[in-house]
Amino acid sequence: MNVFSPDFLFRNALAGGLLVGILCGVLGVYVVLRRFALLGVALPQASAAGIAFTFLATRHQHAAGAGTHVLALLGSAGFTFGGLALLTLSGRRSRIPEDGRIGALLAVASAGTVLFVAANPGGDFEVTSLLRGELLAISDSDLVILAAASLVTGILFLLFRREILLASFDPDFARTLGKSPVKADALLYSLLGIAISLGVMTVGPLVVFGFLTLPALCALRVAPRLGVAFAIAALVAAASSLGGFAIAYRADLPAGPVDVALAAALWLGVSGIARLRESMARRGALRVVAIAMVVLLAGFALGGCAGGTEPAEEPVSGAPAPLSRGTLPASQRPIAVLRFRNETGQSLRIASSNPLEELGKAAGDPFARRDPTVLDELEEIATQELARRGFVVLSTAETQRAVPTPPSDPGSAALAAKRAGLDTLVLQGTLRRFTLNPSRILLITLDLALVDPRDGHTLWTGTARHPVAVPAAQTLPEAVRDAGPQIFADAFSGG
Amino acid sequence: MSDALLQTKSACFGYSGRAVVEDVTLEVPAGEFVALVGPNGSGKTTLLRGLLGFVPLLGGRVERRPGLRVGYVPQREGLDPLYPLSALDVTLLGTYGDTRPWRRSGAGARARAEAALVVCHADQLARRRYADLSGGQRQRVLIARALAVQPDLLLLDEPTAGIDSETSESIVATLDGLRREHKLAIWMVSHDLGPLRLRVDRLARVERGRLRIEAASR
Repeated sequence: MNVFSPDFLFRNALAGGLLVGILCGVLGVYVVLRRFALLGVALPQASAAGIAFTFLATRHQHAAGAGTHVLALLGSAGFTFGGLALLTLSGRRSRIPEDGRIGALLAVASAGTVLFVAANPGGDFEVTSLLRGELLAISDSDLVILAAASLVTGILFLLFRREILLASFDPDFARTLGKSPVKADALLYSLLGIAISLGVMTVGPLVVFGFLTLPALCALRVAPRLGVAFAIAALVAAASSLGGFAIAYRADLPAGPVDVALAAALWLGVSGIARLRESMARRGALRVVAIAMVVLLAGFALGGCAGGTEPAEEPVSGAPAPLSRGTLPASQRPIAVLRFRNETGQSLRIASSNPLEELGKAAGDPFARRDPTVLDELEEIATQELARRGFVVLSTAETQRAVPTPPSDPGSAALAAKRAGLDTLVLQGTLRRFTLNPSRILLITLDLALVDPRDGHTLWTGTARHPVAVPAAQTLPEAVRDAGPQIFADAFSGG
Repeated sequence: MSDALLQTKSACFGYSGRAVVEDVTLEVPAGEFVALVGPNGSGKTTLLRGLLGFVPLLGGRVERRPGLRVGYVPQREGLDPLYPLSALDVTLLGTYGDTRPWRRSGAGARARAEAALVVCHADQLARRRYADLSGGQRQRVLIARALAVQPDLLLLDEPTAGIDSETSESIVATLDGLRREHKLAIWMVSHDLGPLRLRVDRLARVERGRLRIEAASR
């Protein structure tokens, strides 16, 4: 992949991750210097609880478009700043040590997140995805908001760097100069709150915590000056973000944990080099070490991002999938694709291209056809994809006449097929997530199971969960058709 | 108010409504060197911090001359060695009171900090990391930082604690020189009266929360 290409589909995700990484990396220097590391875990968790609570309170289920992200941002910021206010106010008169209060916030926020998600009847997949960070779902408008907030945060941090340093290093001395350490602390907390709120939505709480601590630890291990520490932290965060994205993309791994693992590897590497440097008395060795560090960071940042071999699962639009059975069991028996169950909380209706028909439906025409949905398209594509892999497949019309309603699980699929007299294997599916974001990236979770109705045994299960880029799709059916082969290649390759 | 830089009348300083030092009446004229002495827990540091405005005033009055610039030297153990700051960086903090947020700390501020380091015989330490300095060297840097404020009054909290007698003598001599050359008023908390006895003008004794000021016997 070439990340510098204007056509690169994950450009927003890469830029968003980079911005959050640098922002959290730089502010993280103060998180480490001021021993706020526990706060670095608790606040992202409070932010996550805010997102979950907002979705529960507003019964918001559909995750397409900018509205969802604005809602999530409001919840995230509200709970982050609420947590900060609670800690600040309770600290004034409390005899409980600060780490105890931060620990309590972490425990409550963690429990709250789980409970809010559990209590949300329709949106647990969407909310859980947002809580993990929606790096791939960053739209152009999200990126503009993120860039603007990062710019404002960066400018404020730069303008008030002296006040923040004074308040952090020696607040009493700051007072003798007529500077208010309380105001400087409030500003630092606010900047952290903004970075955490945006970061949790973009990359999730785990990665935010990782970026708040690991680049700073790395920087403070070697930096001779504070300004240099900020620069190294930003560089390490950027290298982890870019390098982590490239590795995750190639190895088909989740990007966030790879970013954190890479930042940790850089920290360990830099610490090892620093120790080596300390043990070397020769002056020339210093230059060698500096060059080695630059090469190491540059390699992580750029090595995987341009050129090289393509990943195994490059998202393509409408490209034919390899005709491999994947992990599907070899069988000579025909397969019937039953109606898929919709658990997305959305109707997924595909509007008719005929305006008269639409008007008729709006007027309550009793003879109007049932609305086709995304699920119908997916069932049809499943039939075609199974056939392309050498299976004999019943037509969807024939199957749906026999079993007209979607079974809820593999067991009930077997029962329904047996009752209908189908002597075939049956493919049962549950669509849990289906979101086409403004960047034309389809976020999908489709659980599939292959069941033998004779004995009710489940022979195989698989899940399609990888995002698929559909840059050319203009309508929902086009997006489904473009992504279809990729979706089923993903599901059939898993076990 | 007289020509005093700072004066108090029946001032009472303490925490949570409980007085630690009571009925403090004093005047701080320019160019006077005062040693603030007393046993552990008598309230010396509370009085110093009260004069700085860090400890609540529970009664009485404290008046500072308008525009008074105070240089404060805290106990050096209170500063975190994790910060990657050079001795010059620490000294530059003293100039931050005169720099607006949107302005850069220019060559003027740097020259002020370097001059303060020279006065404290610490200019050769400028590039070294503050955390790597010895106790006596750190103390010189903290005094230089206070001087970079360009103060009228210098308040020091046990600057010679834990430092060998030769270095202590040198630090006190430096302070005495500053007082004479720049008419700087100096109040210094100390356990060890030894190196101070011949240089201070007055002794301020704090015992069981009460202040008694007496002329130094040289």
